[in-house]
Amino acid sequence: MIILEDVYKRYQTDHGPGKWVLQGISLVIPEKVNVGLIGRNGAGKSTLLRLIGGVDQPSRGRIERGGRVSWPMGFGGGLQGSLTGRQNTKFVCRIHGHEEDLQDRIAQIQDFAELGDAFDEPVRTYSSGMRSRLQFALSLAIDFDTYISDEITSVGDAAFRQKAATAFKNLAGRASLIMVSHGEAILKQFCTAGIVLQGGMAYWFDNIEDALRAYKESLPV
Amino acid sequence: MSRSAFLITCSVWKALFLREAVSRLRAERAAWFWLLLEPVIYIVSLMVVFTLFRMRTVGGIDTAVWLMVGMLAFFMFNRTALRSMSAISANQALFAYRQVKPVDTVLVRICLEGFLMVLITIILLSGGSLFGLDVSPADPLAVLLAFFGLWLLGAAFGLIASVAVVLIREAGKVIEFSAKPVYLLSGAIFPIAAVPSPYRDWLVFNPVAHGLEAARLGFAPYYHAIPELSITYLYGCSLAALFFGLSLHQHFRIRLITQ
Repeated sequence: MIILEDVYKRYQTDHGPGKWVLQGISLVIPEKVNVGLIGRNGAGKSTLLRLIGGVDQPSRGRIERGGRVSWPMGFGGGLQGSLTGRQNTKFVCRIHGHEEDLQDRIAQIQDFAELGDAFDEPVRTYSSGMRSRLQFALSLAIDFDTYISDEITSVGDAAFRQKAATAFKNLAGRASLIMVSHGEAILKQFCTAGIVLQGGMAYWFDNIEDALRAYKESLPV
Repeated sequence: MSRSAFLITCSVWKALFLREAVSRLRAERAAWFWLLLEPVIYIVSLMVVFTLFRMRTVGGIDTAVWLMVGMLAFFMFNRTALRSMSAISANQALFAYRQVKPVDTVLVRICLEGFLMVLITIILLSGGSLFGLDVSPADPLAVLLAFFGLWLLGAAFGLIASVAVVLIREAGKVIEFSAKPVYLLSGAIFPIAAVPSPYRDWLVFNPVAHGLEAARLGFAPYYHAIPELSITYLYGCSLAALFFGLSLHQHFRIRLITQ
């Protein structure tokens, strides 16, 4: 269960505090419910995911995480460019307490990411698709109660998207998912509930179809 | 499965240490060579200068030993301080994982630099003995005490500066250009004992100078160190600054990862 209490967020810019991105969001995300996060570009979807994942801190308000929550999988973050895919993998396994079964985890991640020889090349030489493959494989190899996905599926090729879809499906029952996506089909396929972000406020819908409809109605024609 | 906070911190430190060591030693071609080369170049070039001035001894000990010990002791402080200062910005990507805290990256760099400097010091001193220098310390414990004190001081400086450069972006520039005079004012390349009294009173406020003199005195008991030398002063400054640095990290722990 993830509880957000009156969460405000604005970023620090070079000339003082910027404008509010999130303005007073209060939500309770129940356990074992897959949630889709919907909103226009710049509505604060990634910001909210980063706050839920604990990568960034709210300017005001409180976030409570019950259970183990993953870091947001998706663009950038969490990988160091000068190190190889394998070295990054070892690091992530170690900090998550998988020192004993390190080799098994590495094998599993290597197998899922399907990077071939590039696994032993520095991450800065990777394409964005390869990066998200590695990130995705990394977070799946660690046991979380909630996985956070920031458009992880949008950069991969067809085969990878297929693989990601299967992996998401296998999570059902074991863990829940909070995902941002602009693909309606993907949201409908995986999510039961939805959150629409608009004007710094969040609106909860028990049904993803309702969320998508409300979002479409809010768009200027 | 839930792990205790202590176990999590230990696994983070271990992973960070291995990661830092790999990127420090394998990031560029022959990185370990450059690690050794920097102090060697400083020491050799200054030896040439001192030889030109025909200064065979400084304060009663061989110029080469005086320079070498002073330089290595100074590097112990300097490298620890400057490398750990930039730890937070260099590891920004890792704060994506909640268990990695800014202070962890600083502490790990402090330990890694200390470890590397011990290796470098041993290698260079053994190298010096191959050239016939008398590098066996008369009082090894005093030398260790001086080096450890300088490392602690570097650690304290790094902890404070690492917070400062994140909160005030200009602080990094100021620290960078003020690091050069510290090198002069610490008596790494000229004997502070030779400075006349009213000015020396100011120089001995610098705890690094005490560490350098103490290290030299540990190598040769007949060395004419500054009369004000106090290892207690070095440790007092280090511990006070260390406490201040850690409390800065505690106080700003949320600010440091907020964007």
